[in-house]
Amino acid sequence: MERMHMRPLELTVNGRRVEVLVNQNETLARVLRERLQLTGTKQGCEQGACGACTVWVQQPGEDEAPRTLLSCIAPAVRHHGAHITTIEGIADKGRLHPLQRKFVEKGAIQCGFCTPGMVMTALDHCNAHPDTDRQGIKEALCGNLCRCTGYKKIVDAVEEYALEASGRRTPAATDPDAHFRMVGSPRPGIEAERKVKGEAEYADDIFVRNALHCRFLRSPYPHARILAIRTQRALAAPGVAAVLTGRDLPISFGVLPISQDETAMAVEKTRYIGEIVAAVAADTIEQAEQAVKLIEVDYEPLPAFLEIADSLADCGSKERIHAHGRFNNNIHKKAELRFGDQQEGLARSRHRIRQQFRFQGVTHAFTEPHAATAWWDQDGLTIITATQVPHYLHRYLAKVLEVPMARVRVVKPYVGGGFGGKSDPFPHEIIICQLARITGRPVRTRFSREEVFLTNHGRHPTEMTVELGIDDEGRFTALDAEIAIDGGAYGSFGVVTSYYNGVLLQAPYRLDNFGFVTRRVYTNKPQSGAMRGHGAVNSRFAVETLIDRLAEQAGMDPCDLRLRNFIGEDCLTVGQYRITSNGSALSLNSVRERSGWDKRRGRLPFGRGLGVGCGFFISGSALPIHWNQYPQSVVHLKLDLDGRVLVTSGASDIGQGSDTMLAMVVAEVLGLSLDHVFVLAADTLLTPIDLGSYSSRVTFMAGNAAKMAAEQLRDKVRAAVAAVHAVPAEELILERERVFTSDRTVDLGWTEAVEIATRKVGALNTSGWYNSPKLGGDFKGAGAGLSPSYSFGAVVAEVEVDPATGAVKVLELWGAHDAGRAINPLAVEGQLEGSWHMGLGQALTEELRYHEGLLLNANLLDYKIPTTLDTPEIHTTIIETNDPEGPFGAKECGEGALHPAIPAIVNAIHDAVGVRITSLPIRNEEILHALRARTNTPATA
Amino acid sequence: MIQTGTYRRPRTLDEAIGVAASHQGPHRYLAGGTDMMPSLQQSGEDVMLIDIGGISALKRVRTDGGGFTIGALVTLHELTEHPALRASFPALVEAAASIATPVVRRSATVGGNLLCENRCIFFNQSEWWRDAIGRCLKCGGDICIASGGKKACFSELVSDLAPCLIALGATVTLHTAEGARTMPLEQLYTGDGVKPTVLRPGDLLTAVQLPDEGRRAVFRKLRQRATMEFTSLTTAVSVDAQGGITIALGGVDPRPVVVRGTASDDRATLVKKAWKGARSVENDMLSRSYRRDMIITYLNESLQHLLP
Repeated sequence: MERMHMRPLELTVNGRRVEVLVNQNETLARVLRERLQLTGTKQGCEQGACGACTVWVQQPGEDEAPRTLLSCIAPAVRHHGAHITTIEGIADKGRLHPLQRKFVEKGAIQCGFCTPGMVMTALDHCNAHPDTDRQGIKEALCGNLCRCTGYKKIVDAVEEYALEASGRRTPAATDPDAHFRMVGSPRPGIEAERKVKGEAEYADDIFVRNALHCRFLRSPYPHARILAIRTQRALAAPGVAAVLTGRDLPISFGVLPISQDETAMAVEKTRYIGEIVAAVAADTIEQAEQAVKLIEVDYEPLPAFLEIADSLADCGSKERIHAHGRFNNNIHKKAELRFGDQQEGLARSRHRIRQQFRFQGVTHAFTEPHAATAWWDQDGLTIITATQVPHYLHRYLAKVLEVPMARVRVVKPYVGGGFGGKSDPFPHEIIICQLARITGRPVRTRFSREEVFLTNHGRHPTEMTVELGIDDEGRFTALDAEIAIDGGAYGSFGVVTSYYNGVLLQAPYRLDNFGFVTRRVYTNKPQSGAMRGHGAVNSRFAVETLIDRLAEQAGMDPCDLRLRNFIGEDCLTVGQYRITSNGSALSLNSVRERSGWDKRRGRLPFGRGLGVGCGFFISGSALPIHWNQYPQSVVHLKLDLDGRVLVTSGASDIGQGSDTMLAMVVAEVLGLSLDHVFVLAADTLLTPIDLGSYSSRVTFMAGNAAKMAAEQLRDKVRAAVAAVHAVPAEELILERERVFTSDRTVDLGWTEAVEIATRKVGALNTSGWYNSPKLGGDFKGAGAGLSPSYSFGAVVAEVEVDPATGAVKVLELWGAHDAGRAINPLAVEGQLEGSWHMGLGQALTEELRYHEGLLLNANLLDYKIPTTLDTPEIHTTIIETNDPEGPFGAKECGEGALHPAIPAIVNAIHDAVGVRITSLPIRNEEILHALRARTNTPATA
Repeated sequence: MIQTGTYRRPRTLDEAIGVAASHQGPHRYLAGGTDMMPSLQQSGEDVMLIDIGGISALKRVRTDGGGFTIGALVTLHELTEHPALRASFPALVEAAASIATPVVRRSATVGGNLLCENRCIFFNQSEWWRDAIGRCLKCGGDICIASGGKKACFSELVSDLAPCLIALGATVTLHTAEGARTMPLEQLYTGDGVKPTVLRPGDLLTAVQLPDEGRRAVFRKLRQRATMEFTSLTTAVSVDAQGGITIALGGVDPRPVVVRGTASDDRATLVKKAWKGARSVENDMLSRSYRRDMIITYLNESLQHLLP
């Protein structure tokens, strides 16, 4: 930053007058965040396409009310003299604004990254339009993207605020007992106030002193040998402290021990456009960016493999993407399992359909870009990073950097959404650690939105052929799936994805004859990995749409056909999954009834239709990634004289609410309010290991571990009180922050009881753990998809199709999901609504599109997440079946709900206009062409 | 990160034009900045920003006997909220309301929308991206990548106001070093995707004149989401009191495609003419064939609505 370009800028921010010297090119967002440390204003896209940076501005001399402004695209200098209001200025001396209070109470906050922008936009709207209504609110918020909530609870919160603020509705009386109500009672996230005030610190909000900034040189070739890299000019550039290339970090890694095929930077060759080839650490971002441009790389381009078909075929004389693998092709993994006699089953089918399906890749599109800061000191390495898997990162930092795990600390701050996209150890995390090591200074980095897209790890582009048959009684005879998935350049979770595509089809229906083969191929594109609903979303779509067609052929109602085939409770699937509680039928019957299915389906006017789909998913993987005897989750509790219980857990809250879940479980067992519970999570130095937030495992596993630890603590308190008061320990009840016997001969306050329990021994510590029971069959591949419990669900969608354009609008969505028992119904609803919303996106508008291996739509304008106006009214039902092994009966709710949403929409399109869709995203023109083909309308004038 | 040489905030029109004329290097006028800033941030162009946001004379909507004069700095939000415009030109208000998002419309201006940079999925990318693919005509290269190597740029005009205002018979006023001139809006556009408007360095678009002739108009916009989208196809069709028809298309050509006719003309011929006039290529998330197909659908529906 040259001095001649600096200008003094005077602002009044949240009533405080400030004067800073700014570069003429600095955006207002950057000034607020970096110079004024007002990090509540978030940067999600840097092009005004996500709304996270929304602030209010009132220009000098303007007497109008302040207006909303996207601060990430606003040059700061033009606001000289202006009054700016940020999220930090909305609460009144620390007390939440009534709208903020509604966001908290209504569960409108999950990851919280979009929340500040949402509040700024919503409050501006309500101030200008006190009489606003639900539609008005949706229109006002349509420029603020949220990836977690499906907007439902956000719109609910704003609507209720508007009604109350304008006197149209009287606030409901608050329930004084809610304070003590835990499991089964809807509770705001324990960190929600921090998020709604803009105080929660995400990775990019944490400024470690004296930090260098890291930027990356990325490959412009999909497949090329690196002949030479010259870094001298970059090293000599102003402010540059270090430059790294692939040879500096040659040790391979990968989230799965069986696919260690990635390095921090390309070493011998690059395998996708966007792969990191070199990295620079410099005093400023600009200096790092300038220096990156000075690095010279000589490449020898190699033929690229960009399509699944190319990678399935023999390579001939072309060089394979990876040298490992037994054959001369780019197949990474072939997974195949067969049960029963598929041929026999198909042969006796009354109706059978074999159909090809095709799916574009989609990506997580969490609102918070990857960011991290790393440093070394006398305690070794510390990295603060936006991750779902601190433990796996811990392992691979130790491996690649060749340091003992005891010298590595991974800290997860607040994370702005993950959905599987932050569940791998990432190159940038390893690189900044190495840069910090060689420079002796902290190093930070933050991805642009383009880099987030290039990093991908999203859902695999998929091609599959699926065959399903039914017999005369309407029972499924056999299911066969032949699947090919596009893994991109590296392994990631791909081996698991390969299995999940197939194995997760063996329920929720009874199938005696079932088999699949999945081939995962490498291609020269950004890698695919785990994304919400991992592995099974596309194959579930295929099966659920085939069921709709078979029902049509058999003259059955699609709901009836499904009900006839559900597998039921307490049984084994053909692949020996142990099914315990099963809410399939309850879910389906719920959405059937609520949507008016029996009266409306098939009877709506042309262009309007209803469709149904069902789902099935794991509640955590029974088999850990790393084969050892360590429990899958451990939770520690510490209770000291002050009466507060400290819960430490490695589980990563990425917005789904796991910290709150842990607190509620502990409070429930100990009869406490949350005032006496504090959660410290996801810090590999301070918290015991949890494998991470993926595969919908946290509530089941960490919840059970927390429950066990709390029960131990309860027993210790009981034993101590029992000894002093000479009553049997089991007669002591812990409720409402008291410890008492039913006859009240003993009746102590919580802190009194704690004083007794800690006498002479000091703080009480307990440790709970969870390990999955031994499950599964005795055959190779039996472990894939094994879970201690499974979730089930159903969705009915109502759509409107414009026959003139083929445009599809989803009008309503009724969803029901068997979550076992909702520990926190508010959070469970939020997970379900977010899942259905993400399914809506994949169904209608989202896809990653490439041109010769280069991602064309690496931004939030062209990668189209549904906005408030694209999202239908969602009607949510939680089905409770009380899982026998889940904590208080709970099981998965964060991913499985996505599965039924997409086929429900597509089946509804058939009900509306009679067109069958077999590829995603749904393209209007495909519907249009199908309609025209039927009526022989010419395509053009 | 942009590397702006300097920043100025003139108070008057003449001052702005003077600043531009006296500056040696390249400059850009900054109005709402919602379109220009993201592209400057992406391209890293070294330009002087002349912030015209302080020129209050350009922020007014005036009415006279014959119609309206809309200052270039009137925001899209103000346009949508203007009672008289809402009453007289519902299609124009609909067009304005279809642009971007409510927060963007608080800053984005009428002038800025008319001069919105043409877009193409091969152009609206970072510098790294452009280097990776090999530069296209619009950013210093010598071929159009979207069209597979043609020597012309097919970046699309994406202003939603432009087709609508053309259909409504609008003119625009340019202030240049030589003085002011007014021209039909249509003539603002060159049809060359690399340099889509006739504006020369220093020229400033200051106002739009909208005659109140009682034209009835229909606006349609093709997009995947209900909001937050640049257009994939904009159609505006108007009919005046004498039965004169004006059809204007956006989003399918580097310039607005304009076709005129009368109520007595064969409609299919008019529609076909517009369809043929659109030089669109595969440079949008929606396919070329679908966008072209929708030209016909939208125009037929619009004409049917206006002349049932």
